[in-house]
Amino acid sequence: MLIVDDHKPFRAVARELLEGAGYIVTGEAGDAAEALAAIAAEAPDVVLLDVQLPDQDGFAVATAVTASQGPAVVLISSREADAYGRRVVSCGACGFIPKSKLSAATFAAALE
Amino acid sequence: MTSADPAAATQPMRDVLRDPVLVAPLVVAAGLGVGALGIHAHISETRIATDMGLAWALAAAALVTLGRPRRRRATWLLAAAAFALLGADLEWADTHAWWTLGLVFEQLWIAVLAVLLLALPEGRRSSPVTPWAIAGAFAVTLAGQVAGALVEPDVRDLLSVAPHAGAAHAIDRAQEFAGAAVALVVLVLLLQRLRELRGAARRSQGPPLAGAAVALTVGGVWLGLVIASDGSRPRVETIARAIVVLLPIGVVVGILWSRLRQPEASELVVELQAQNPATMGERLAGALGDPTLEIAYRLADGQYVDASGRAVELPRDPGRAVTAITAGGKEVAVLVHDPALLDEPALVESVRATAALVLEIERLAAEVRSQLAEVRASRERIVSAADAERRRIERNLHDGAQQRLVTLSVALGLEASRVDSAATTDVLSRAQNEVEQAITELRDLARGIHPTLLRDEGLQIAVEALARRASIPVTVNGAVHGRLPDSIELAAYFVVSEALTNVTKHASPTEASVTLVRESGVLRVTVTDDGVGGARIANGSGLAGLRDRLDALDATLVIDSRPTQGTTVRAELPCE
Repeated sequence: MLIVDDHKPFRAVARELLEGAGYIVTGEAGDAAEALAAIAAEAPDVVLLDVQLPDQDGFAVATAVTASQGPAVVLISSREADAYGRRVVSCGACGFIPKSKLSAATFAAALE
Repeated sequence: MTSADPAAATQPMRDVLRDPVLVAPLVVAAGLGVGALGIHAHISETRIATDMGLAWALAAAALVTLGRPRRRRATWLLAAAAFALLGADLEWADTHAWWTLGLVFEQLWIAVLAVLLLALPEGRRSSPVTPWAIAGAFAVTLAGQVAGALVEPDVRDLLSVAPHAGAAHAIDRAQEFAGAAVALVVLVLLLQRLRELRGAARRSQGPPLAGAAVALTVGGVWLGLVIASDGSRPRVETIARAIVVLLPIGVVVGILWSRLRQPEASELVVELQAQNPATMGERLAGALGDPTLEIAYRLADGQYVDASGRAVELPRDPGRAVTAITAGGKEVAVLVHDPALLDEPALVESVRATAALVLEIERLAAEVRSQLAEVRASRERIVSAADAERRRIERNLHDGAQQRLVTLSVALGLEASRVDSAATTDVLSRAQNEVEQAITELRDLARGIHPTLLRDEGLQIAVEALARRASIPVTVNGAVHGRLPDSIELAAYFVVSEALTNVTKHASPTEASVTLVRESGVLRVTVTDDGVGGARIANGSGLAGLRDRLDALDATLVIDSRPTQGTTVRAELPCE
């Protein structure tokens, strides 16, 4: 799987958490461009994708990835899903987790 | 004795000689002289009386136009026409030299009057044909006579170089035809000018132009008869000349008519004090008889504005005149009007004196309106700058503190799941809960500063989210399609947010509703609850703070809240 977030300390914690839960993290990306390049190069099964990225928002990346039959996308944000309205559903992501609620259990539930 | 400056000494003399008043005695003397010539030559008394009468009438009209700055040219042209007319009668003299002079200048006075009519009052030409008509008049009357004099068989003609009766007759006929054509063109131009005259110009120029039009018509009939019969008709010629007297009479009537307007200016005082719904501009336009009149008020910074406070440019077009109005030595306003009003300086002066005080008051009002518009614009800028700052703070909170707290929370959760000690797990879990609480509070704070959902999704979605988060059931009615200006959306959002916060804090309601309606360029936001009522906009409350934001947008906020009747908060925001 791929972790996409512009906050490096968060990526490190998320990696530790998910690897501890048995997921294989193939890479990390700090912005949308890096994320798209990594998805093309590594073809991960799942992408943990932050909504707020410096170059594009996560919804645009999610829409592009899911439209091309790419990996499953789980969105994360330090805001609640409510702050984004319909876009959470319409972008094609299979789940949304507020960052502070990220755990092995919430991640697995989002993927189902 | 000191020697005097010869130039200075001759200056007063030159001024005296240039004084148009001298026209009067000179024309009277010349008229009497010509009259004597006519009697001596046994000319018909009617004809002598006609020429003397017409010359004196022209001189009298020249005198009446004296002292009117825009009529200086008219004064000289009237006097020149009088002398030219008498000059033509030198033909009655015995001397060959005088006779020849009379022959050459026989018709010049007609061309001079054509200039006067077509270029009144200050050489303003209303049509591109005008210079050609004037040139034609001189060609027929002066050049035609000179050409005729060169072949005139009469022995008294000193200019006759090749006397030839046939040629002289042919030139006469050519003059008659060309004269008729020029007269027709001048008549058309006159009628055109008469039709275009408005207001003050109609009063001062209408009578002479109308008189001239009648005289030209009669003159045209005489020319027609001459052309048709190929011979002179002295009786009709005398009648045509006699009718030209309508022109100087018209000049005098025009000036008298203009003066008759003056009493109306004094009535303006009463008019200005009356509670008249007409604007000051309309009242002054009525008093001065110029419907095109406009007022521009001068602000302290030298700019000009109209009554509503909007900036205006003063015209540079020569077709408009600008007259300053002063009060206490200070310019308070200018009147932009038809230049013809300058022919009535006394009337304008009287209005200026009467209206100065009222105009000063109107100017102050216009200045206040202008400042109000500036204050409103600056308040809008302040609100927009504050909104931009709110957005920046929200973004900083989200990208900074919130990110770090979120990372800390996840790390604490991870660590709590790893440790074996129950006591340590408990401490870590409690620490994570505290961090979660801080994140929630920070998120609410950020949303209150600037709601992301509103920015991204618009008012309808953001208000629906507010309704969902409320601690009581809130229904959202109506719909706002499309996006509105940021400032309007934000103000409407804060009204709903603040009203719902107040409701849940103080009103103990069972439910509330929000209605959003956009129609006729107005967004109406209504928040109603079934709580205890009795609410009001207290100083220092959130709604009172919102009033400033709404005022900056020309929006209104009303609270209807009677005890036990629930509360309705209504905001109306213009959103063209």
